[in-house]
Amino acid sequence: MSADFTAQSTPPPVVQVRDMDFSYGASKALFDINLKVQYHRVTALIGPSGCGKSTLLRCINRMNDRVLSARVTKGEVLVKGKNIYDADVDLTQLRKQVGMVFQKSNPFPKSIYENVAYGLRIHGEKNKSVLDEAVERSLTHAALWEELKDRLHANALALSGGQQQRLCIARAIATVPDVLLMDEPCSALDPISTLKIEELMHQLAKEFTVVIVTHNMQQAVRVSDYTAFLHLGKLVEFAPTEELFTNPREKLTEAYLRGTFS
Amino acid sequence: MNPAPTNDNPFAGDNSGIQQRETAARWALRVGSYIVVLITLAIMLHIFIKGAPVVFQSKWPFVNTQFLTELPATLHVIEDQQGNHIETDVNGADAVKKKLGDNFRSEKTVSYSGGGILGPIVGTALLVIVSVGVALFLGVACAIYLSEYAKHGKFLEMVRLAILNLAGVPSVVFGLFGLGAFVLTAPTFVDVPADRSVFSIPLGFTTLSFEGWDTCVLSGGFTLAFVILPVIITASEQCLQAVPQGFRETSMALGATRWQTIRYSVLPFATPGILTSSILGIARAAGETAPIMFTAALAFKDKLPWQKDLPPLPADASIFAHWEQSVARFLGIFTESVQALPYHIYTLAAKIPQNEYAERAQYGSVFVFLVLVASLAASSVMLRKRLRAKYRW
Repeated sequence: MSADFTAQSTPPPVVQVRDMDFSYGASKALFDINLKVQYHRVTALIGPSGCGKSTLLRCINRMNDRVLSARVTKGEVLVKGKNIYDADVDLTQLRKQVGMVFQKSNPFPKSIYENVAYGLRIHGEKNKSVLDEAVERSLTHAALWEELKDRLHANALALSGGQQQRLCIARAIATVPDVLLMDEPCSALDPISTLKIEELMHQLAKEFTVVIVTHNMQQAVRVSDYTAFLHLGKLVEFAPTEELFTNPREKLTEAYLRGTFS
Repeated sequence: MNPAPTNDNPFAGDNSGIQQRETAARWALRVGSYIVVLITLAIMLHIFIKGAPVVFQSKWPFVNTQFLTELPATLHVIEDQQGNHIETDVNGADAVKKKLGDNFRSEKTVSYSGGGILGPIVGTALLVIVSVGVALFLGVACAIYLSEYAKHGKFLEMVRLAILNLAGVPSVVFGLFGLGAFVLTAPTFVDVPADRSVFSIPLGFTTLSFEGWDTCVLSGGFTLAFVILPVIITASEQCLQAVPQGFRETSMALGATRWQTIRYSVLPFATPGILTSSILGIARAAGETAPIMFTAALAFKDKLPWQKDLPPLPADASIFAHWEQSVARFLGIFTESVQALPYHIYTLAAKIPQNEYAERAQYGSVFVFLVLVASLAASSVMLRKRLRAKYRW
């Protein structure tokens, strides 16, 4: 089912999901997923509610481990060639490499500076100048530096919803991850804030590899280079975004894009 | 031909009396509430009217410092031939009698009613410090484990139920538990185990002997800690649960370990609530009588815990040169038995003959006690307000 069209591209994928099955206890949530995420590209995961796109995203940084009965029952997930479900994987180091931005912007009720510095601090960075530099760099990447440089020590909760979400992005990229996972990052935002984040994603792709879950197909078209369409836990089609939206190979994809079902 | 319309309601039954019942219900509830308020006010006013004059006075410094800074003492009341009463302590009694000479008619003594209540205040303070320290450490640790680490399931539910049930155990049972566990069997380091030691483990340089801590602040404080533990665990767990799950997810997603997440993203935001509940725990611990009766409190003690007949430290040396002894003496405070306010009130009320001289000490003690508990509750409310404003999300 999954397209192996990327096989011809020479660089190895940064994330590779191979023949993966995933279940919550007795109920199987993902079936035989194969996916390759290329460096410095934006990959969108689309599909109807409950299709497993968020679950798949959370498999890539093992956030599903927080759910008790959740298990990868078959296959593997490789990040930079290493299976992240191996027994010797240190979750803290994995998550330093694979950052995540959540649907609901949730800055800590601390200062803007402390929010961005959080990831570095928990990884043991104490040097003030390193932290300062990382905060400035991350906020600049998140297009927030100009707005916020004069009030870095204000409480992050004083920011608007869109600013809060961009702050969360800055916080996630402060540890310089290879991959940035975004779980419907705009679904709680107004259209203007959404637009800002979409613009940001093109910029982010220059430095990072982005995987985004979205329920908004237009957003997938606007921001992504590749799109994967999931339905009922199966990856139906995976192709360059333009190709998938203009010339889907699968009937199911076509039906979903036309809005025959959702 | 249509029948003429009437005002009769065809569904109406006999509703006579429904308004009367409504009125009766309303008044019964209202009277009940008034009774509660009245009784509370009556108690407070009574204690204030009788107790405030003992503690406050009209002359500078407006507070009866003697009552707050002296230990309880026996009051001697000497009556002369004219029927005048002279109140004095045991030392002054002979002088007064000599001065009166033939004018002396009679002398009576009233236990504990002279002097002040410094001993009980100090004792209660020490007990509260130990119990809240122990209860906060154990309670918060337990709450964190239950809320953040333990796997949800039947076992966890049982643990929660057990904790709730612990809150319903009568305090005298805690007192007996404390007597058995802390006074008689708790482990302590000694050179030579006592005969009553349950068992002892020789460690070479010293012996770990399960012979109990005796009646002391430590035993009483630990016992009180178990009395307030259920309150602190339950409240702390609620405070931890009130911290949004998103904080934990985000922190973990940034690569934090579970403990780092708790330390930096959960505890700081749960602390205000935990502190508030612990202050209410202080009020509870300060007020309990039964748990300390067997474990820490004496009816009477003429010394403060740090007043011991020990040789003074060499005068020339600084405190640092003898830090071991200094520390040992400081810790020695906690191995002393003490007087405590609630137990002192019980003694005054039930263990001595009642007369107008005893009444002064009784109401004074109760008044001081109520003021202490009320100010603890008030500071808890204020602390919560301030911290809430600081850590909101």
